[in-house]
Amino acid sequence: MYYRFIALLERLERTGNFLETAALVTLLSAMMLLAVGQIVLREIFNTGFVWADELIKLMVLWLAMVGSIAATRDNRHIRIDALSHILPELGIRVIRIFVDLFAALVCGVIAWQAWRYLKLEIEYQDTVLVNIPAWIAHSVMPAAFLLISFRFLVLVVKQIGAIVTRPSVGPGA
Amino acid sequence: MIILSVLLVLLAVFGAPLFAVIAASAMVGFRKEEADLMIMALEIQSIASMPFLSAIPMFTFAGYLLSESNAPRRLVKLTGAMLGWMPGGLALVCLAACAFFTAFTGASGVTIIALGAILYPALKQDGYGDKFNLGLVTSAGSLGLLFAPSLPLILYGVIAEVPVDNLFLAGILPGLLMLLMLSGWNIWVNRHIRRPLSSFSIREVGIALRESIWELPLPIVVLGGIYSGFFAVSEAAAVTALYVVLVEVVILREIPLRELPRIMRASMVLVGAILVILGASVASTGYMIDAGIPQRLFELVSSMVSSQTSFLILLLLFLLVLGAILDIFSAIVLVVPLILPIAAGYGVNEVHLGIVFLAAMQLGYLTPPVGLNLFIASYRFEKPIMHVYSATFPFLIILMASVVIITFLPELSLAFLSD
Repeated sequence: MYYRFIALLERLERTGNFLETAALVTLLSAMMLLAVGQIVLREIFNTGFVWADELIKLMVLWLAMVGSIAATRDNRHIRIDALSHILPELGIRVIRIFVDLFAALVCGVIAWQAWRYLKLEIEYQDTVLVNIPAWIAHSVMPAAFLLISFRFLVLVVKQIGAIVTRPSVGPGA
Repeated sequence: MIILSVLLVLLAVFGAPLFAVIAASAMVGFRKEEADLMIMALEIQSIASMPFLSAIPMFTFAGYLLSESNAPRRLVKLTGAMLGWMPGGLALVCLAACAFFTAFTGASGVTIIALGAILYPALKQDGYGDKFNLGLVTSAGSLGLLFAPSLPLILYGVIAEVPVDNLFLAGILPGLLMLLMLSGWNIWVNRHIRRPLSSFSIREVGIALRESIWELPLPIVVLGGIYSGFFAVSEAAAVTALYVVLVEVVILREIPLRELPRIMRASMVLVGAILVILGASVASTGYMIDAGIPQRLFELVSSMVSSQTSFLILLLLFLLVLGAILDIFSAIVLVVPLILPIAAGYGVNEVHLGIVFLAAMQLGYLTPPVGLNLFIASYRFEKPIMHVYSATFPFLIILMASVVIITFLPELSLAFLSD
Protein backbone atom coordinates (compact mmCIF):
# COMPACT_ATOMS: atom_id res chain seq x y z
CA MET A 1 0.00 0.00 0.00
CA TYR A 2 2.70 2.44 1.08
CA TYR A 3 4.90 1.49 -1.88
CA ARG A 4 1.97 1.79 -4.34
CA PHE A 5 1.45 5.29 -2.97
CA ILE A 6 5.14 6.12 -3.44
CA ALA A 7 5.06 4.73 -6.98
CA LEU A 8 2.08 6.94 -7.81
CA LEU A 9 3.89 9.94 -6.33
CA GLU A 10 6.94 9.19 -8.42
CA ARG A 11 4.91 9.06 -11.61
CA LEU A 12 3.29 12.35 -10.72
CA GLU A 13 6.73 13.72 -10.00
CA ARG A 14 8.11 12.82 -13.43
CA THR A 15 5.16 14.40 -15.23
CA GLY A 16 5.27 17.47 -13.02
CA ASN A 17 8.99 17.77 -13.46
CA PHE A 18 8.60 17.71 -17.24
CA LEU A 19 5.79 20.29 -17.24
CA GLU A 20 7.72 22.65 -14.96
CA THR A 21 10.87 22.46 -17.05
CA ALA A 22 8.86 22.99 -20.24
CA ALA A 23 7.17 26.06 -18.74
CA LEU A 24 10.46 27.50 -17.47
CA VAL A 25 12.23 26.96 -20.81
CA THR A 26 9.36 28.55 -22.74
CA LEU A 27 9.05 31.55 -20.42
CA LEU A 28 12.77 32.26 -20.22
CA SER A 29 13.36 31.87 -23.97
CA ALA A 30 10.36 34.02 -24.86
CA MET A 31 11.48 36.67 -22.41
CA MET A 32 15.01 36.85 -23.87
CA LEU A 33 13.76 36.96 -27.46
CA LEU A 34 11.13 39.58 -26.68
CA ALA A 35 13.61 41.83 -24.87
CA VAL A 36 16.21 41.57 -27.62
CA GLY A 37 13.48 41.96 -30.26
CA GLN A 38 12.45 45.23 -28.63
CA ILE A 39 16.02 46.56 -28.95
CA VAL A 40 16.18 45.60 -32.61
CA LEU A 41 12.80 47.15 -33.34
CA ARG A 42 13.73 50.34 -31.52
CA GLU A 43 17.26 50.83 -32.85
CA ILE A 44 16.67 49.75 -36.45
CA PHE A 45 13.00 50.26 -37.19
CA ASN A 46 12.34 53.01 -34.68
CA THR A 47 9.26 51.24 -33.38
CA GLY A 48 8.25 48.66 -30.75
CA PHE A 49 5.32 46.98 -29.06
CA VAL A 50 3.70 49.08 -26.34
CA TRP A 51 2.74 45.96 -24.41
CA ALA A 52 6.19 44.34 -24.48
CA ASP A 53 7.45 45.86 -21.22
CA GLU A 54 4.36 44.84 -19.29
CA LEU A 55 4.42 41.35 -20.77
CA ILE A 56 8.07 40.88 -19.75
CA LYS A 57 7.18 41.95 -16.20
CA LEU A 58 4.30 39.46 -16.08
CA MET A 59 6.68 36.78 -17.36
CA VAL A 60 8.97 37.56 -14.40
CA LEU A 61 6.03 36.82 -12.08
CA TRP A 62 5.34 33.53 -13.87
CA LEU A 63 9.03 32.57 -13.85
CA ALA A 64 9.18 33.38 -10.15
CA MET A 65 6.13 31.26 -9.37
CA VAL A 66 6.98 28.25 -11.54
CA GLY A 67 10.63 28.49 -10.43
CA SER A 68 9.40 28.45 -6.87
CA ILE A 69 7.40 25.25 -7.46
CA ALA A 70 10.54 23.72 -8.96
CA ALA A 71 12.57 24.93 -5.98
CA THR A 72 10.16 23.16 -3.65
CA ARG A 73 10.44 19.96 -5.66
CA ASP A 74 14.23 20.12 -5.58
CA ASN A 75 14.10 21.12 -1.89
CA ARG A 76 16.13 24.23 -2.72
CA HIS A 77 14.18 26.93 -0.91
CA ILE A 78 16.38 29.23 1.13
CA ARG A 79 16.43 28.25 4.80
CA ILE A 80 18.57 29.16 7.78
CA ASP A 81 20.62 26.03 7.66
CA ALA A 82 22.58 26.20 10.91
CA LEU A 83 21.11 23.27 12.84
CA SER A 84 21.60 20.69 10.12
CA HIS A 85 25.34 20.89 10.71
CA ILE A 86 24.98 20.18 14.43
CA LEU A 87 22.05 17.82 14.94
CA PRO A 88 22.02 14.10 14.11
CA GLU A 89 20.26 13.04 10.93
CA LEU A 90 17.14 11.70 12.62
CA GLY A 91 16.66 14.93 14.57
CA ILE A 92 16.84 16.97 11.37
CA ARG A 93 14.32 14.74 9.65
CA VAL A 94 11.83 15.09 12.50
CA ILE A 95 12.29 18.88 12.57
CA ARG A 96 11.93 19.06 8.80
CA ILE A 97 8.54 17.32 9.05
CA PHE A 98 7.24 20.09 11.30
CA VAL A 99 8.71 23.08 9.47
CA ASP A 100 7.60 21.78 6.07
CA LEU A 101 4.09 21.16 7.38
CA PHE A 102 4.13 24.79 8.50
CA ALA A 103 5.27 25.90 5.03
CA ALA A 104 2.53 23.80 3.40
CA LEU A 105 -0.05 25.43 5.66
CA VAL A 106 1.18 28.98 4.90
CA CYS A 107 1.20 28.33 1.15
CA GLY A 108 -2.27 26.81 1.36
CA VAL A 109 -3.59 29.97 3.02
CA ILE A 110 -1.91 32.18 0.40
CA ALA A 111 -3.35 30.01 -2.40
CA TRP A 112 -6.81 30.40 -0.90
CA GLN A 113 -6.45 34.18 -0.53
CA ALA A 114 -5.06 34.47 -4.08
CA TRP A 115 -8.05 32.50 -5.33
CA ARG A 116 -10.45 34.87 -3.55
CA TYR A 117 -8.63 37.83 -5.10
CA LEU A 118 -8.78 36.19 -8.53
CA LYS A 119 -12.56 35.84 -8.28
CA LEU A 120 -12.73 39.53 -7.46
CA GLU A 121 -10.65 40.38 -10.53
CA ILE A 122 -13.01 38.33 -12.70
CA GLU A 123 -15.98 40.13 -11.19
CA TYR A 124 -14.53 43.61 -11.73
CA GLN A 125 -13.21 42.70 -15.19
CA ASP A 126 -9.74 44.14 -14.56
CA THR A 127 -7.45 44.10 -17.58
CA VAL A 128 -3.72 43.95 -18.30
CA LEU A 129 -1.75 44.23 -21.58
CA VAL A 130 -4.22 46.66 -23.19
CA ASN A 131 -7.32 44.42 -23.06
CA ILE A 132 -6.48 40.95 -21.71
CA PRO A 133 -8.45 39.96 -18.60
CA ALA A 134 -6.16 40.35 -15.60
CA TRP A 135 -7.27 37.06 -14.04
CA ILE A 136 -5.57 35.11 -16.84
CA ALA A 137 -2.23 36.75 -16.05
CA HIS A 138 -2.72 36.35 -12.30
CA SER A 139 -4.13 32.82 -12.33
CA VAL A 140 -0.57 31.61 -11.76
CA MET A 141 -0.77 32.84 -8.15
CA PRO A 142 -3.35 30.48 -6.59
CA ALA A 143 -2.24 27.62 -8.85
CA ALA A 144 1.44 27.97 -7.95
CA PHE A 145 0.91 28.34 -4.20
CA LEU A 146 -1.42 25.34 -4.21
CA LEU A 147 1.25 23.27 -5.95
CA ILE A 148 3.99 24.56 -3.64
CA SER A 149 1.81 23.61 -0.69
CA PHE A 150 1.30 20.15 -2.20
CA ARG A 151 5.03 19.77 -2.83
CA PHE A 152 5.81 20.55 0.80
CA LEU A 153 3.33 17.87 1.85
CA VAL A 154 5.12 15.41 -0.45
CA LEU A 155 8.43 16.36 1.19
CA VAL A 156 6.83 15.62 4.55
CA VAL A 157 5.58 12.22 3.37
CA LYS A 158 9.05 11.41 2.04
CA GLN A 159 10.67 12.39 5.35
CA ILE A 160 8.26 10.15 7.25
CA GLY A 161 8.93 7.37 4.77
CA ALA A 162 12.67 7.81 5.20
CA ILE A 163 12.35 7.55 8.97
CA VAL A 164 10.05 4.52 8.84
CA THR A 165 12.07 2.55 6.30
CA ARG A 166 15.44 3.37 7.84
CA PRO A 167 18.12 2.15 7.68
CA SER A 168 17.53 0.21 4.45
CA VAL A 169 16.97 3.20 2.14
CA GLY A 170 16.36 6.92 2.45
CA PRO A 171 15.21 7.88 -1.02
CA GLY A 172 14.90 11.37 -2.28
CA ALA A 173 15.29 13.17 0.99
CA MET B 1 1.16 38.37 19.60
CA ILE B 2 4.58 38.09 21.24
CA ILE B 3 4.16 34.32 21.51
CA LEU B 4 3.39 34.15 17.79
CA SER B 5 6.48 36.23 16.92
CA VAL B 6 8.70 34.01 19.05
CA LEU B 7 7.17 30.95 17.42
CA LEU B 8 7.92 32.34 13.94
CA VAL B 9 11.53 33.11 14.85
CA LEU B 10 11.89 29.58 16.24
CA LEU B 11 10.46 28.13 13.02
CA ALA B 12 12.98 30.15 11.00
CA VAL B 13 15.88 29.02 13.18
CA PHE B 14 14.76 25.41 12.93
CA GLY B 15 14.98 25.66 9.15
CA ALA B 16 11.49 26.51 7.91
CA PRO B 17 11.67 27.99 4.39
CA LEU B 18 12.27 31.69 4.94
CA PHE B 19 9.65 32.87 2.48
CA ALA B 20 6.97 30.96 4.43
CA VAL B 21 8.12 32.48 7.73
CA ILE B 22 8.11 35.99 6.25
CA ALA B 23 4.71 35.50 4.61
CA ALA B 24 3.29 34.16 7.86
CA SER B 25 4.59 37.14 9.81
CA ALA B 26 3.01 39.48 7.24
CA MET B 27 -0.32 37.66 7.59
CA VAL B 28 -0.19 37.82 11.38
CA GLY B 29 0.50 41.55 11.09
CA PHE B 30 -2.28 42.20 8.60
CA ARG B 31 -4.68 40.20 10.79
CA LYS B 32 -3.78 42.40 13.73
CA GLU B 33 -4.62 45.48 11.66
CA GLU B 34 -7.85 43.73 10.69
CA ALA B 35 -6.99 43.88 7.00
CA ASP B 36 -8.43 41.37 4.52
CA LEU B 37 -5.76 38.73 3.89
CA MET B 38 -6.55 38.96 0.19
CA ILE B 39 -3.96 41.71 0.28
CA MET B 40 -1.29 38.97 0.36
CA ALA B 41 -2.07 38.09 -3.26
CA LEU B 42 -1.93 41.73 -4.27
CA GLU B 43 1.42 42.28 -2.51
CA ILE B 44 3.13 39.18 -3.89
CA GLN B 45 1.77 39.94 -7.35
CA SER B 46 3.58 43.26 -7.27
CA ILE B 47 6.67 41.33 -8.37
CA ALA B 48 5.14 41.97 -11.78
CA SER B 49 5.37 45.75 -11.45
CA MET B 50 8.97 46.19 -10.34
CA PRO B 51 11.47 47.77 -12.73
CA PHE B 52 14.78 46.00 -13.56
CA LEU B 53 13.58 42.69 -12.16
CA SER B 54 13.73 40.81 -15.47
CA ALA B 55 17.50 41.30 -15.35
CA ILE B 56 17.70 38.76 -12.52
CA PRO B 57 16.50 35.61 -14.34
CA MET B 58 18.46 36.45 -17.48
CA PHE B 59 21.78 37.26 -15.79
CA THR B 60 21.41 34.20 -13.57
CA PHE B 61 20.87 31.97 -16.57
CA ALA B 62 23.86 33.49 -18.37
CA GLY B 63 26.01 32.88 -15.28
CA TYR B 64 24.93 29.25 -14.94
CA LEU B 65 25.60 28.65 -18.62
CA LEU B 66 29.08 30.20 -18.39
CA SER B 67 29.94 28.09 -15.35
CA GLU B 68 29.00 24.88 -17.19
CA SER B 69 31.14 25.70 -20.23
CA ASN B 70 34.91 25.82 -20.40
CA ALA B 71 34.85 29.58 -19.80
CA PRO B 72 36.21 29.22 -16.23
CA ARG B 73 39.21 27.30 -17.54
CA ARG B 74 39.88 29.90 -20.24
CA LEU B 75 39.52 32.70 -17.70
CA VAL B 76 42.13 31.08 -15.46
CA LYS B 77 44.47 30.62 -18.40
CA LEU B 78 44.10 34.23 -19.50
CA THR B 79 44.63 35.74 -16.05
CA GLY B 80 47.50 33.27 -15.60
CA ALA B 81 49.22 34.55 -18.73
CA MET B 82 48.80 38.12 -17.57
CA LEU B 83 49.57 37.86 -13.84
CA GLY B 84 51.53 34.61 -13.51
CA TRP B 85 54.96 36.29 -13.58
CA MET B 86 54.40 38.08 -10.26
CA PRO B 87 55.35 36.60 -6.85
CA GLY B 88 52.30 34.81 -5.57
CA GLY B 89 51.17 34.89 -9.17
CA LEU B 90 48.78 31.99 -9.16
CA ALA B 91 47.06 33.29 -6.03
CA LEU B 92 46.54 36.62 -7.79
CA VAL B 93 45.10 34.72 -10.72
CA CYS B 94 42.72 33.07 -8.30
CA LEU B 95 41.55 36.39 -6.84
CA ALA B 96 41.10 38.14 -10.18
CA ALA B 97 39.39 35.24 -11.93
CA CYS B 98 37.05 34.59 -9.00
CA ALA B 99 36.06 38.24 -8.77
CA PHE B 100 35.28 38.42 -12.46
CA PHE B 101 33.39 35.16 -12.42
CA THR B 102 31.33 35.96 -9.30
CA ALA B 103 30.19 39.23 -10.83
CA PHE B 104 28.61 37.21 -13.60
CA THR B 105 27.26 34.33 -11.55
CA GLY B 106 25.81 36.38 -8.73
CA ALA B 107 27.53 34.97 -5.68
CA SER B 108 25.49 31.84 -5.22
CA GLY B 109 28.42 29.60 -4.37
CA VAL B 110 28.91 28.67 -8.02
CA THR B 111 32.34 30.28 -8.09
CA ILE B 112 33.90 27.94 -5.54
CA ILE B 113 32.55 24.93 -7.36
CA ALA B 114 33.44 26.08 -10.90
CA LEU B 115 36.78 27.83 -10.31
CA GLY B 116 37.90 26.36 -7.00
CA ALA B 117 37.96 22.91 -8.54
CA ILE B 118 40.53 24.12 -11.07
CA LEU B 119 42.53 26.46 -8.85
CA TYR B 120 42.76 24.54 -5.59
CA PRO B 121 44.80 21.61 -6.98
CA ALA B 122 46.85 23.97 -9.15
CA LEU B 123 47.78 26.12 -6.14
CA LYS B 124 48.82 23.03 -4.22
CA GLN B 125 50.98 21.80 -7.08
CA ASP B 126 52.64 25.18 -7.25
CA GLY B 127 53.86 24.95 -3.66
CA TYR B 128 51.41 27.18 -1.81
CA GLY B 129 50.56 26.11 1.74
CA ASP B 130 47.44 24.00 1.98
CA LYS B 131 45.83 26.18 4.63
CA PHE B 132 46.51 29.32 2.62
CA ASN B 133 44.95 27.77 -0.49
CA LEU B 134 41.83 26.73 1.32
CA GLY B 135 41.36 30.19 2.85
CA LEU B 136 42.11 31.87 -0.46
CA VAL B 137 39.69 29.85 -2.55
CA THR B 138 36.96 30.06 0.09
CA SER B 139 37.15 33.82 0.52
CA ALA B 140 37.64 34.54 -3.19
CA GLY B 141 34.36 32.74 -3.85
CA SER B 142 32.26 35.76 -3.02
CA LEU B 143 34.76 38.41 -4.08
CA GLY B 144 33.14 39.95 -7.18
CA LEU B 145 29.91 40.78 -5.37
CA LEU B 146 30.33 44.53 -5.84
CA PHE B 147 31.07 44.32 -9.57
CA ALA B 148 28.39 44.64 -12.24
CA PRO B 149 26.20 42.80 -13.04
CA SER B 150 26.03 40.84 -9.77
CA LEU B 151 22.57 39.77 -8.60
CA PRO B 152 22.74 41.37 -5.12
CA LEU B 153 23.51 44.76 -6.71
CA ILE B 154 20.46 44.47 -8.94
CA LEU B 155 18.25 43.27 -6.10
CA TYR B 156 19.32 46.18 -3.90
CA GLY B 157 18.49 48.58 -6.73
CA VAL B 158 15.03 47.06 -7.08
CA ILE B 159 14.29 47.20 -3.35
CA ALA B 160 15.76 50.62 -2.62
CA GLU B 161 14.45 52.09 -5.88
CA VAL B 162 17.92 53.30 -6.81
CA PRO B 163 18.93 53.20 -10.49
CA VAL B 164 20.85 49.95 -10.97
CA ASP B 165 23.35 51.56 -13.36
CA ASN B 166 24.37 53.97 -10.56
CA LEU B 167 25.00 50.99 -8.28
CA PHE B 168 27.09 49.31 -10.97
CA LEU B 169 29.33 52.40 -11.09
CA ALA B 170 29.43 52.72 -7.31
CA GLY B 171 30.66 49.16 -6.81
CA ILE B 172 33.80 49.53 -8.92
CA LEU B 173 36.24 51.25 -6.54
CA PRO B 174 35.11 49.47 -3.33
CA GLY B 175 35.29 46.14 -5.18
CA LEU B 176 38.80 46.98 -6.42
CA LEU B 177 39.83 47.96 -2.89
CA MET B 178 38.85 44.53 -1.58
CA LEU B 179 40.70 42.88 -4.45
CA LEU B 180 43.84 45.00 -3.92
CA MET B 181 43.97 44.46 -0.16
CA LEU B 182 43.69 40.69 -0.53
CA SER B 183 46.25 40.73 -3.35
CA GLY B 184 48.67 42.79 -1.29
CA TRP B 185 48.40 40.41 1.61
CA ASN B 186 48.88 37.45 -0.68
CA ILE B 187 52.04 38.92 -2.20
CA TRP B 188 53.35 39.59 1.34
CA VAL B 189 52.63 36.05 2.57
CA ASN B 190 54.06 34.42 -0.53
CA ARG B 191 57.03 36.73 -1.00
CA HIS B 192 59.30 33.71 -0.40
CA ILE B 193 57.81 31.78 -3.27
CA ARG B 194 60.21 33.30 -5.73
CA ARG B 195 59.53 30.70 -8.35
CA PRO B 196 57.10 32.47 -10.64
CA LEU B 197 54.31 30.56 -12.30
CA SER B 198 55.75 31.44 -15.67
CA SER B 199 57.79 34.20 -17.16
CA PHE B 200 55.75 36.83 -18.88
CA SER B 201 55.35 36.13 -22.56
CA ILE B 202 53.42 38.22 -25.03
CA ARG B 203 52.90 35.08 -27.09
CA GLU B 204 51.16 33.27 -24.20
CA VAL B 205 48.94 36.27 -23.56
CA GLY B 206 48.11 36.38 -27.25
CA ILE B 207 47.15 32.71 -27.32
CA ALA B 208 45.01 33.02 -24.20
CA LEU B 209 43.37 36.16 -25.57
CA ARG B 210 42.53 34.41 -28.80
CA GLU B 211 41.01 31.46 -26.93
CA SER B 212 38.80 33.77 -24.89
CA ILE B 213 37.94 35.96 -27.84
CA TRP B 214 34.23 35.11 -27.58
CA GLU B 215 33.83 35.78 -23.88
CA LEU B 216 35.93 38.95 -23.79
CA PRO B 217 33.25 41.21 -25.28
CA LEU B 218 30.84 40.34 -22.43
CA PRO B 219 31.86 43.07 -19.94
CA ILE B 220 31.97 45.54 -22.81
CA VAL B 221 28.48 44.54 -23.95
CA VAL B 222 27.08 44.82 -20.43
CA LEU B 223 28.78 47.98 -19.20
CA GLY B 224 29.35 49.70 -22.53
CA GLY B 225 25.78 49.07 -23.62
CA ILE B 226 24.33 50.44 -20.40
CA TYR B 227 26.51 53.54 -20.09
CA SER B 228 26.35 54.56 -23.70
CA GLY B 229 22.60 54.63 -23.16
CA PHE B 230 22.22 52.10 -25.93
CA PHE B 231 20.10 49.81 -23.77
CA ALA B 232 18.65 49.51 -20.27
CA VAL B 233 19.94 47.14 -17.58
CA SER B 234 17.23 44.54 -18.21
CA GLU B 235 17.94 44.69 -21.95
CA ALA B 236 21.65 44.24 -21.29
CA ALA B 237 20.73 41.08 -19.37
CA ALA B 238 18.74 39.75 -22.33
CA VAL B 239 21.57 40.51 -24.76
CA THR B 240 24.10 38.86 -22.42
CA ALA B 241 22.00 35.72 -22.00
CA LEU B 242 21.29 35.34 -25.70
CA TYR B 243 24.93 36.06 -26.56
CA VAL B 244 26.19 33.43 -24.10
CA VAL B 245 23.78 30.85 -25.58
CA LEU B 246 25.05 31.74 -29.05
CA VAL B 247 28.71 31.42 -28.05
CA GLU B 248 28.67 28.33 -25.82
CA VAL B 249 26.01 26.34 -27.68
CA VAL B 250 26.26 27.37 -31.33
CA ILE B 251 29.79 28.69 -31.92
CA LEU B 252 32.01 26.81 -29.44
CA ARG B 253 29.59 23.91 -28.96
CA GLU B 254 30.78 23.26 -25.42
CA ILE B 255 27.24 22.79 -24.17
CA PRO B 256 25.01 20.52 -26.23
CA LEU B 257 21.57 21.87 -27.05
CA ARG B 258 19.84 19.07 -25.13
CA GLU B 259 21.54 20.26 -21.93
CA LEU B 260 19.95 23.71 -22.16
CA PRO B 261 16.60 22.81 -20.52
CA ARG B 262 18.42 21.32 -17.51
CA ILE B 263 20.59 24.42 -17.09
CA MET B 264 17.62 26.74 -17.56
CA ARG B 265 15.70 24.84 -14.91
CA ALA B 266 18.60 24.82 -12.46
CA SER B 267 19.06 28.58 -12.79
CA MET B 268 15.34 29.28 -12.52
CA VAL B 269 15.13 27.23 -9.32
CA LEU B 270 17.51 29.75 -7.75
CA VAL B 271 15.55 32.66 -9.25
CA GLY B 272 12.26 31.22 -7.97
CA ALA B 273 13.69 30.75 -4.49
CA ILE B 274 14.94 34.36 -4.41
CA LEU B 275 11.88 36.00 -5.94
CA VAL B 276 9.35 34.21 -3.73
CA ILE B 277 11.23 35.62 -0.73
CA LEU B 278 11.07 39.01 -2.45
CA GLY B 279 7.28 38.63 -2.84
CA ALA B 280 6.77 37.63 0.78
CA SER B 281 8.99 40.51 1.93
CA VAL B 282 7.00 43.02 -0.12
CA ALA B 283 3.96 41.89 1.87
CA SER B 284 5.69 42.10 5.25
CA THR B 285 7.20 45.50 4.36
CA GLY B 286 3.74 46.64 3.31
CA TYR B 287 2.38 45.70 6.71
CA MET B 288 5.30 47.30 8.56
CA ILE B 289 4.87 50.60 6.74
CA ASP B 290 1.11 50.54 7.46
CA ALA B 291 1.90 49.97 11.11
CA GLY B 292 4.51 52.79 11.12
CA ILE B 293 7.33 50.50 12.18
CA PRO B 294 10.16 52.21 10.22
CA GLN B 295 9.17 55.50 11.90
CA ARG B 296 9.23 53.93 15.38
CA LEU B 297 12.53 52.21 14.61
CA PHE B 298 14.01 55.54 13.56
CA GLU B 299 12.87 57.19 16.78
CA LEU B 300 14.37 54.35 18.77
CA VAL B 301 17.71 54.54 16.99
CA SER B 302 17.91 58.32 17.06
CA SER B 303 17.30 58.30 20.81
CA MET B 304 20.45 56.21 21.19
CA VAL B 305 22.69 57.46 18.40
CA SER B 306 23.30 61.05 17.50
CA SER B 307 26.05 61.27 14.88
CA GLN B 308 26.35 59.73 11.44
CA THR B 309 29.62 58.08 12.43
CA SER B 310 28.19 56.28 15.42
CA PHE B 311 25.20 55.26 13.32
CA LEU B 312 27.50 53.72 10.71
CA ILE B 313 29.43 51.84 13.41
CA LEU B 314 26.18 50.47 14.79
CA LEU B 315 25.03 49.58 11.28
CA LEU B 316 28.24 47.66 10.56
CA LEU B 317 27.96 45.65 13.77
CA PHE B 318 24.34 44.88 12.98
CA LEU B 319 25.16 43.80 9.40
CA LEU B 320 27.96 41.52 10.58
CA VAL B 321 25.56 39.68 12.86
CA LEU B 322 22.87 39.69 10.19
CA GLY B 323 25.26 38.32 7.57
CA ALA B 324 26.21 35.46 9.86
CA ILE B 325 22.56 34.42 10.15
CA LEU B 326 20.81 35.32 6.90
CA ASP B 327 21.83 34.80 3.29
CA ILE B 328 22.45 37.95 1.26
CA PHE B 329 19.25 37.82 -0.78
CA SER B 330 16.87 37.46 2.17
CA ALA B 331 18.80 40.12 4.05
CA ILE B 332 18.41 42.61 1.20
CA VAL B 333 14.68 42.19 0.71
CA LEU B 334 13.88 42.04 4.43
CA VAL B 335 16.19 44.58 6.03
CA VAL B 336 16.89 47.25 3.39
CA PRO B 337 13.32 48.70 3.47
CA LEU B 338 13.69 49.14 7.25
CA ILE B 339 17.15 50.72 7.39
CA LEU B 340 16.78 52.88 4.28
CA PRO B 341 14.67 55.60 5.97
CA ILE B 342 16.86 55.46 9.09
CA ALA B 343 20.05 55.88 7.06
CA ALA B 344 18.45 58.75 5.15
CA GLY B 345 17.72 60.40 8.49
CA TYR B 346 21.46 60.35 9.22
CA GLY B 347 22.28 61.71 5.78
CA VAL B 348 23.75 58.49 4.40
CA ASN B 349 23.54 58.37 0.62
CA GLU B 350 21.34 55.48 -0.51
CA VAL B 351 23.84 54.32 -3.14
CA HIS B 352 26.62 54.35 -0.56
CA LEU B 353 24.34 52.50 1.86
CA GLY B 354 23.84 49.81 -0.76
CA ILE B 355 27.57 49.31 -1.24
CA VAL B 356 28.17 49.19 2.53
CA PHE B 357 25.30 46.76 2.96
CA LEU B 358 26.55 44.36 0.27
CA ALA B 359 30.21 44.65 1.31
CA ALA B 360 29.30 43.80 4.90
CA MET B 361 27.01 40.98 3.81
CA GLN B 362 29.87 39.56 1.74
CA LEU B 363 31.66 38.92 5.03
CA GLY B 364 28.62 36.91 6.02
CA TYR B 365 29.64 34.28 3.48
CA LEU B 366 32.76 33.70 5.56
CA THR B 367 31.59 34.16 9.14
CA PRO B 368 30.97 31.10 11.30
CA PRO B 369 28.73 29.43 12.13
CA VAL B 370 26.60 29.54 8.97
CA GLY B 371 28.73 31.20 6.24
CA LEU B 372 27.71 29.60 2.96
CA ASN B 373 31.19 29.60 1.40
CA LEU B 374 32.62 27.81 4.44
CA PHE B 375 30.25 24.90 3.95
CA ILE B 376 30.62 24.73 0.20
CA ALA B 377 34.41 24.69 0.57
CA SER B 378 34.30 22.13 3.34
CA TYR B 379 32.07 19.91 1.22
CA ARG B 380 33.86 20.49 -2.07
CA PHE B 381 37.44 20.02 -0.80
CA GLU B 382 36.57 17.44 1.86
CA LYS B 383 38.02 19.37 4.78
CA PRO B 384 36.57 19.53 8.30
CA ILE B 385 34.59 22.71 8.83
CA MET B 386 36.75 23.86 11.75
CA HIS B 387 39.78 23.65 9.48
CA VAL B 388 38.04 25.85 6.91
CA TYR B 389 37.10 28.37 9.65
CA SER B 390 40.68 28.82 10.76
CA ALA B 391 42.08 28.84 7.20
CA THR B 392 39.67 31.60 6.20
CA PHE B 393 40.18 33.71 9.31
CA PRO B 394 43.07 35.96 8.13
CA PHE B 395 41.23 36.67 4.88
CA LEU B 396 38.13 37.55 6.88
CA ILE B 397 40.11 40.06 8.95
CA ILE B 398 41.49 41.76 5.84
CA LEU B 399 38.07 41.92 4.21
CA MET B 400 36.67 43.39 7.43
CA ALA B 401 39.28 46.12 7.31
CA SER B 402 38.30 46.88 3.73
CA VAL B 403 34.61 47.05 4.69
CA VAL B 404 35.44 49.59 7.40
CA ILE B 405 37.34 51.71 4.85
CA ILE B 406 34.48 51.44 2.36
CA THR B 407 31.97 52.49 5.01
CA PHE B 408 33.81 55.59 6.20
CA LEU B 409 35.06 56.73 2.79
CA PRO B 410 31.80 57.31 0.89
CA GLU B 411 33.94 58.97 -1.82
CA LEU B 412 34.92 55.47 -2.96
CA SER B 413 31.34 54.56 -3.76
CA LEU B 414 30.28 57.94 -5.05
CA ALA B 415 33.37 58.87 -7.12
CA PHE B 416 31.81 58.06 -10.50
CA LEU B 417 28.37 59.47 -9.77
CA SER B 418 27.82 62.97 -11.02
CA ASP B 419 24.88 63.94 -8.82
